Amino acid sequence: MIFEERQAEKNDFSSRAIFIFSLIGIAFFIILFQVFSLQVSRYSSYELAALNNKNYTVPIQPLRGEIFDRNGQALVRNIKTFDLITEPNAIESTESFLRLIKPVINLTEAEEQQFLAQFKEMAFVNKELVLKKNLSRQEIAQFRVRGFNFKNAFVAERYRRMSEYPEIFSHVLGYVSSSESEYDLLPGVPRSHWRDAELKYANGLIKGMTGLEATYNTELSGSYGSRVYEINSRRQLGETLEHQPATEGRDIYTHLDISAQKSAAKALGSRKGGVVAVDLESGGINVLFSSPSYSINKLSNGMSIADFQALIANPNKPFFNRATQGRYPPASTIKPAIAMFGLSNKLIGWEEEIDDPGYFTLPENGRIYRGWKKGGHKNVNLKKALLVSSNTYFFKLAYQSNMQDLASYLSSFGFGSKVCVDCFDEDSVFLPTPDWKYNNLNTPWFTGDTVNIGVGQGYLVATPIQLANYSAILANKGTLPKLSIAKSPEFNLAIKNQSTTLLGSKNWSKMHDALTGVIEDDLGTARSIKDLKNFKVAGKSGTAELVSLDSKEAYQDVRDTELLRDHSIIIAFGPMPNPKYAVSVVIENGESGGAVAGPVAIEVLKSLLNEQ
Amino acid sequence: MNNKLSKIYFDPYLFFSICLLAIFGLFFLYSASNADLSIVIKQAAYIFLGLVIMMVVSQPDPDIFRRTSFAFLCFAVLLLGVTALIGPEINGAQRWVRIGPISFQSSEILKLALPIYLANFLCDKKLPIQTREIGITVLIILTAFFLVARQPDLGTGLIVALSGMFVLFLSGLSWSFIGGSFVLVIISSPLIWNILLKPFQQQRIATLFNPESDPFGAGWNIIQSKIAIGSGGIFGKGFGQGSQTQLNFLPETKTDFIFSVIGEEFGFVGVFLLLGLYFFILMRCLYLALSARDRFCRLVIGGLTLTFAANLVINLCMVVGLLPVVGMPLPFISKGGSSLISLFFAFGIITSMATHKKFLPQ
Repeated sequence: MIFEERQAEKNDFSSRAIFIFSLIGIAFFIILFQVFSLQVSRYSSYELAALNNKNYTVPIQPLRGEIFDRNGQALVRNIKTFDLITEPNAIESTESFLRLIKPVINLTEAEEQQFLAQFKEMAFVNKELVLKKNLSRQEIAQFRVRGFNFKNAFVAERYRRMSEYPEIFSHVLGYVSSSESEYDLLPGVPRSHWRDAELKYANGLIKGMTGLEATYNTELSGSYGSRVYEINSRRQLGETLEHQPATEGRDIYTHLDISAQKSAAKALGSRKGGVVAVDLESGGINVLFSSPSYSINKLSNGMSIADFQALIANPNKPFFNRATQGRYPPASTIKPAIAMFGLSNKLIGWEEEIDDPGYFTLPENGRIYRGWKKGGHKNVNLKKALLVSSNTYFFKLAYQSNMQDLASYLSSFGFGSKVCVDCFDEDSVFLPTPDWKYNNLNTPWFTGDTVNIGVGQGYLVATPIQLANYSAILANKGTLPKLSIAKSPEFNLAIKNQSTTLLGSKNWSKMHDALTGVIEDDLGTARSIKDLKNFKVAGKSGTAELVSLDSKEAYQDVRDTELLRDHSIIIAFGPMPNPKYAVSVVIENGESGGAVAGPVAIEVLKSLLNEQ
Repeated sequence: MNNKLSKIYFDPYLFFSICLLAIFGLFFLYSASNADLSIVIKQAAYIFLGLVIMMVVSQPDPDIFRRTSFAFLCFAVLLLGVTALIGPEINGAQRWVRIGPISFQSSEILKLALPIYLANFLCDKKLPIQTREIGITVLIILTAFFLVARQPDLGTGLIVALSGMFVLFLSGLSWSFIGGSFVLVIISSPLIWNILLKPFQQQRIATLFNPESDPFGAGWNIIQSKIAIGSGGIFGKGFGQGSQTQLNFLPETKTDFIFSVIGEEFGFVGVFLLLGLYFFILMRCLYLALSARDRFCRLVIGGLTLTFAANLVINLCMVVGLLPVVGMPLPFISKGGSSLISLFFAFGIITSMATHKKFLPQ
């Protein structure tokens, strides 16, 4: 090449080289700009992302509060037990591990199968897996001796939620169960981390499901703590970066009385029904018992599915809380309320007498409403009508009443509404009114419907706790704080003295006198329980008819079917004349109110008054 | 003459900046390997060997590379053939060849041989280059590309192709040809996407534009790399303190993603200084190319330098999330003997070509 050509080539090369190196310079600038935008402009979000990568927060389960009765005796406690816990990521072969561990602890086939099934799901490292719960002392000792063989297993304390009275307090205390809803309790901790929670309970992340355990779950639970680990990309936990201990739950002190509840359970025996007792001064619930019952200890600490299904399928419905949800006709126990309504509306007076021929004839259509005693009670005034439980008297009174007014009067006694502030599952039931009937049954209200309500039958139903509340209002002469199981004001449940004054004191004294006569007077329908105690008790018994029958003879036919027999009911309070406690007892298919339900009420009152 | 014989050919700017880069690289590698000293010692040995090779290669007159360029290319192609026949399969690809105790990536040699051969082929052609020469050159480049790409190693294949194209461009390829082929590539890009790219390669490109679409799969590398760099901030988390690196959230920290380690532990300041050092090397090479003694040397220095630059830019763009993930080490810093030795070899050639002056024929 000649010189000029060479020079031209060199110039061409130079311009091309500078051009392409400029492109590379631009590329460098773009890269630097991108790095700047990552490291400076968007630093905070990437810093957070890096922290989220390496920080692994594990919840720490708090210990639940315990529940005590009114004398400070424990109803539910946390009992420490020992479990054998394995570390799945340290177990290379489950076969050889089980072969080694079997001579040391007693492993049932079911436990072994459950372990193997769960082991397969444990892809996650550092996760604990329980092999056997509730080790015996001997097993712990054997494991300790041969512990050097088991780098991948350890014995750790795990609590159980236990009651010394697992059967009699089931409905009121309720049970706990492991629940996934606990996963939402620590904001910012993903659900997956909860699988690694540091557990206190053998049954896992427990939560109150029914009863007080559910009502006061927040207070009892305390709050979860947390431990922040450093974690690597293979999800292995490293050192602890932060530790926030859990806060234990609060203990709950209740009005419940262990000995009275025991008495109620013992007196009721195997019969179905509910018993509620109330402290008149505080409105505290001393007894809340429903029969048949079940064991909360089994349920709270991991019940097998088969056992649980059996419990649910039981025809006697042990799960059903009869004391707060059972709907029973109040029968004759409603009569004091009807009487108070008649007095306050000047429909009747204490001295006025009527003739009781044993039945009441509805003037409109001549329909006959029968009393319980053939031939009737002849001349009866109000007191006698209450003592002998004259149906005719109250049929007649009800006949004169306006149903709407009567219903609103009954609501002052707590009927048709919830009467307890912290009962888990209370049924408010309803009050029968013409509107109610039209809306629900699509038929108009007949005068005969009102007549039936005069003796607590027909459309009127109430729960045992409503009856106890009613009984307490009668005993307290028209005033009563709202019922509660836990002692206020420990908890801000707005438990106020929602007292109602219904009537003047003259009527109340006479009413107490009449109701005392029901038990203490020789005419009284519940006189059979008079001698069971050495203090005076007022009350009213009732026999709730499940089938409407016109004669005693017809009833003898239905008696053969136990489930159609009358319910036995009593409301009672004492000791008279200055009552401290009120009780209601309902015994399903127990028949005659005073004689059957009466002794149960007396036993409970005796326990509460420490008069055994 | 005595004086001339004892002269050692070397460029102090290039030599010391490369030494500095390699030594920094050892520190970065120490951190990236979770303080695995054995890896660092092995890398240091390669660097020492590489420096010796660079010095040795710098000494002979550039003519020797010109005379042996065809043989060198044949050797490189032969090695690729051997690799395809007997190379061990690692992760579904045959890229390595073992000769005695030494094993290396055969494509690294082609990356050197191809630009040198093409520089030789084109350096005595009249300007502008004729269509026939362009045709032959493009054919050679495509052959080289497919030889590497079929291993499969698309990243290195592209670098090899680029190394050839740089020489072609620098030697005076007409601008209209460049513009025409650029348009052609744009038009045929859907065809390339559908026919030439394998599904995993398509996914890598798709992932680039939306890494969050698959955060634990294909997007993982890009996301973790950006988190590592971004969380480094201005001054970095400190040497050995990068959580993304030390807790292994960042993938391939010792090789492709070592830049993310630097970004995380030394921050924007560290990145700026590192890029400055690279830029200095490139500028020095540009100067050397412009002042080289003849057209062959200019083309070789330019071609090799641009190949180095392309390698660097692709790696950087990949780790900061500007390009899809392709296997491409960060020059002089990433772990790996083959890459290091071939880099030192290239800079040896560059030094030789830059330092030997030829007196104009009398």
